[in-house]
Amino acid sequence: MTSEELRVVAFTLKVAALGTLLLVPPGLLAALLLARYRGPGKGVLETLLALPLVLPPTAVGLVLLEVLSRRTTFGAWLAVRGWDIVFTWRGVLVATMLMSFPLLVRSARTAFEEVDPHLVGLARTLGCSPLAAFFRVTLPLAWRGVLAGVALAFSRALGEFGATIMVAGNIPGKTQTLALAIFHESQLGRDDRAMVLAGVTVALAFACLWTTEWLTRARDRRLAS
Amino acid sequence: MIELAVELPLSRFPLRVSTSLGAGVTGVLGPSGSGKTSLLEVLAGLRPAARGRIVVGGEVWLDSGAGVRRAPERRRVGYVPQAAGLFPHLRVGENVAFGARGDARRVETAIATLGLGELLERYPARLSGGERQRVALARALASDPALLLLDEPLASLDASLRERILPYLLRVRDDWRVPMLYVTHNVGEALLLADHALLLRDGAVEAAGRPLDLLSSPGLAQAAEAGIENLFRGAVASHDAEAGLTHVVVQGGLPVSVPIAPGLALGAPVTLAVRAEDVLLAVEPLTGLSARNVYAGTVVAEERTGTDLTLRLETTQARATWLARLTPGAVKALALRPGVPVWIAVKSHSFRLLV
Repeated sequence: MTSEELRVVAFTLKVAALGTLLLVPPGLLAALLLARYRGPGKGVLETLLALPLVLPPTAVGLVLLEVLSRRTTFGAWLAVRGWDIVFTWRGVLVATMLMSFPLLVRSARTAFEEVDPHLVGLARTLGCSPLAAFFRVTLPLAWRGVLAGVALAFSRALGEFGATIMVAGNIPGKTQTLALAIFHESQLGRDDRAMVLAGVTVALAFACLWTTEWLTRARDRRLAS
Repeated sequence: MIELAVELPLSRFPLRVSTSLGAGVTGVLGPSGSGKTSLLEVLAGLRPAARGRIVVGGEVWLDSGAGVRRAPERRRVGYVPQAAGLFPHLRVGENVAFGARGDARRVETAIATLGLGELLERYPARLSGGERQRVALARALASDPALLLLDEPLASLDASLRERILPYLLRVRDDWRVPMLYVTHNVGEALLLADHALLLRDGAVEAAGRPLDLLSSPGLAQAAEAGIENLFRGAVASHDAEAGLTHVVVQGGLPVSVPIAPGLALGAPVTLAVRAEDVLLAVEPLTGLSARNVYAGTVVAEERTGTDLTLRLETTQARATWLARLTPGAVKALALRPGVPVWIAVKSHSFRLLV
């Protein structure tokens, strides 16, 4: 690989890792609320959250572009503070985060739903605040699903294309991620370079998912012993 | 001292309980679905819909009128649900220490009381039903509770396991002296463990008082799914290998002979159980009978239990209380009524020995 290609790989990994990290707190909170909340509006909320999964990523990107551009109040407010999002690395971050969010939430929500609420109640009687009960009982028991969600979100962030290109463009050395670079090289007829980059994405996604599997299985072995 | 006046809507009827409970053990009896578990959850603070007032040892846990609702973690209850509710991701030792706030000495004492030393490294998935109950009980004790709430700790266990846990419960009652609400279907358990009992039916207290006094409640038959048992605490006095008997002296000094159990040391504490329907009565002195346990006594009271009659008896020696369950026909034929002298006979094999 060329140094330019290595830089693209490093940039993609960095943005995906940062995005996933930033997603975890709000993602787990949303998942917990959806798992425990029983009331009006739940269906609408769930559907809204699932939308990015089924919409064309370019459509999501277009909406994001409109909301964040300097023409809107919010976009202008951000720009004044020097937090330009559109056509910067931050645009890549926001686009990949939005596309990854539902994957994390769905996986974690299912995992939280499977935790027996009686165990959480018992933890409370044993002196845990709601927050402590979450960290000592709910999260360790839902660990497998949460980890799977994090892995999916990270993998999705590695491969995001449509929303990213709408919000951040495809600027080599600035906003170009692996997915964008593959497209770019292929458009320029450099299929061999595109294949190298595609190989790298396969290896990264494989490593990420396999590590998740391995961690989960190691834990199952421990609990059964 | 526990003052209760609570109300909670349930699907079929409201739970409405007003009562005051002393220290010691309160048995909570009642048929399935009568609100027993809900009552424990209200006390534990796990039912946000509960209204009313709960005062435990002078501390107000709930006063919905004044907007006081103490969170479960600030009530110091030791709750042992029917299914034990162990944390599956933690080893036995970690489960026991979960609520102990680092009080290692308390954890050690709880582990010793419930005989868990061998199990500390195991995960709950690898425990038997009886072991789970013991771990759950130890976990509750280690959290230094002001009130223990036990929800049918023996119900999900088969008879032999049940009998192995009962002595641990007695130990908890006698050594730890934490006020306890003990939900059970088993009248014998209530008689053995509780100083005071409540009979719940459709969410309301149908009767309250000494466990023995509850025997006259019409609702008890429905609650007594597991039957009525005589349970006695005693100590091993001697073994007679030739006769095949172990002699036990139960509280008050009454001698009882049971099938030989040579493994028990002299003086070892034991609990004896005999079902009320296995107690024979005669109105004339018994001779030439194979039963090894025969006592002179008197009928004290007669109470209806379902289609049968339960007689409360008192032996002349040691004034021990016995319960005998007879058909109305047998009671009529022998003209049994309060005040009538009787002979009580129990085969040694009718006793089960709970160590």
